[in-house]
Amino acid sequence: MSERDPLSFEVFKPVGPDAHGRRRMHPLTPVVQSVRWWPAALVAAVTLPAQMEVSVGAGAILVGLGGIVLITAVAIGWNYLAWQRLSFWFDDDGDLRVQSGVLTKQERRLQVSRLQSVDVLQPLLARLAGLAEVRIEVAGSGDSRQDLQFLTLAEANALRNEVIARSAGVRHDAEEAPETLLAKVPPGDLVLSLLLRLETSLLLLMTVLLVVVTLTTAGPAGLVFVLIGGVPIFGVFAQFSRYYDFTVAESPDGLRLRHGLLQRTRQTVPPGRVQAVGFVQPVLWRKRGWVRVRLNIAGAASGSQGSGDQSYTENVLLPVAPWPVALAIVGRVLPGVDIMSIPLIPAPDRSRKRAWIQWRQLAVGWNDEVFVSRGGRIVERWEVVPHARTQSVRVTQGPWQRSLDLASLHVDSTPGAVKITAHHRDAIEVRRIAQEQADRAAAARAADRSLRWAAPTGAPATGVQDADAGPEDQGDASTGTTVLPAPDA
Amino acid sequence: MDAAENTAPAAVTTSVAEVFNPPGGEWVRVSPVLARAYRIELAISFGLGAVLVCGGLLLLPDVPPVIPLVLALVALVAFVWIWIVIGRRVGSWGYAERADDLLVTSGILLRRLVIVPYGRMQLVDVTAGPLHRALGITTVQLHTAAATSDARIPGLTPAIAADLRDRLARRGEERSAGL
Repeated sequence: MSERDPLSFEVFKPVGPDAHGRRRMHPLTPVVQSVRWWPAALVAAVTLPAQMEVSVGAGAILVGLGGIVLITAVAIGWNYLAWQRLSFWFDDDGDLRVQSGVLTKQERRLQVSRLQSVDVLQPLLARLAGLAEVRIEVAGSGDSRQDLQFLTLAEANALRNEVIARSAGVRHDAEEAPETLLAKVPPGDLVLSLLLRLETSLLLLMTVLLVVVTLTTAGPAGLVFVLIGGVPIFGVFAQFSRYYDFTVAESPDGLRLRHGLLQRTRQTVPPGRVQAVGFVQPVLWRKRGWVRVRLNIAGAASGSQGSGDQSYTENVLLPVAPWPVALAIVGRVLPGVDIMSIPLIPAPDRSRKRAWIQWRQLAVGWNDEVFVSRGGRIVERWEVVPHARTQSVRVTQGPWQRSLDLASLHVDSTPGAVKITAHHRDAIEVRRIAQEQADRAAAARAADRSLRWAAPTGAPATGVQDADAGPEDQGDASTGTTVLPAPDA
Repeated sequence: MDAAENTAPAAVTTSVAEVFNPPGGEWVRVSPVLARAYRIELAISFGLGAVLVCGGLLLLPDVPPVIPLVLALVALVAFVWIWIVIGRRVGSWGYAERADDLLVTSGILLRRLVIVPYGRMQLVDVTAGPLHRALGITTVQLHTAAATSDARIPGLTPAIAADLRDRLARRGEERSAGL
């Protein structure tokens, strides 16, 4: 926050609220949004003629430049209209309202008490201009994410603080909470860990194949195109760029994650918002005792309601860290949980017939707070879900499992990279654990209070759903959706 | 933790039915009309596919007529087999309402059982396509914040579906919890 970003030229003044308390995006927004595709266009302009072996005359260059100018002008025009119509403000209930739309006007209300996470993002271009995007996730079915592009960095940080403070139930003009640094990933470790991932070997293999095939079919000229167009191994650099300078800090308003080489991201996860935690350890990391930690965060994923859309953004808590560090930080995310002390029950010996590589690793365990599953031999994984965050419990059994009298237990969490599954256990045991897990989850839910965490006990719960439930037609089963009231504890 | 419990998992004695047993009492089964709906859908898709593929192959000049005939025969066998399986598949759907959660079971090859706590429900959907509406059945689907929950009960008569929806909504309200 306080350190100066060498890549950022903060020359632009913030835009304050207007007479009605409505706030606007920065006027430079349409320009920044409209020139984003320039680097890609440049690459195409350089590589395509070379590939097609056409000599480019001055006329073609002029036409190309003219096209770029024209498209950019149209984009700026459209984005200007969008910018003009976008405004946001906090209403009387303290919820965030966003008005937008060029053709269809829309007004959204984001219930800050259901806040899941706030990110301040700086894509490279915006970062150069000293601008930032604020991304707000609230819990809810459907599209529960709001992106606000772009504000000056100072304004974006102020908005972030205000949203979090309102969500926590403290005074919204409170100062930004102080933070303590928990962990920093050294660049050397990050590079080495990325090289030791199995994906890297796979990408390297694909790259070698691609280069060999290109050399034999198109000759050295084609290779230039392939290299500029991107080879699979560049994916490793993208990972490096994304997780470069990864910093985890803790403050009363939650966990703060900062990372990125070109695009800077600053994510804040308020306390109690972590739905599940997963540890992943590729085989080559084992000697060093490294582990990667991922999170499930509600809203930061669900594209559409229900089972249709499974897409999610991967929320990484730590790209690489030694086990003790990872456990210590997870201990802050899930207070009072010591994962290593939980007794694990292994899968029965006959599971080797179903899972002949990983069967020794398969295990589950639980204590009063969390449920843990373990599995994977080549890439070992641990999944941890608090009972209070358990959504539903499933038992599944395929024909092969049935012949061995095995079944799998799934503890459903919000969509995300962490999937809690106890594979190939004794079928009757699975059924018993499933039932018990449902009961444990019910008990934990009853005792849980994590919303409006900083407010005095008994804060008013305003529970108005943004979706329209529609009139209830009692007794008539005409189709429709019944929306349950906003779950505010 | 008595001796009997420790030795139990060693021997493969339990039956499949036991694992997917109702939590007490019986599963509430869905209407057999659902099988009719599935069979009509099956007949339509198979009929269309058969006519298109076999007809197309017959019209092509260089294809011997044996190939579409064999294809049609294979399709017919598959059709009869799926027709029979549909009956068992529909018979496998069942649900049970407990004090704090709803249990849904289904599947014959891939069997599953879902336990959804009422406090976790976010939406209750009641849907029916044109065919299902004509046959007088609807589908009740529960949504939680997890995309994988998949608690869907098809083949309910409108009256039962409405009652179930209202009961679920009421219990969800009483027990609603944060995320």
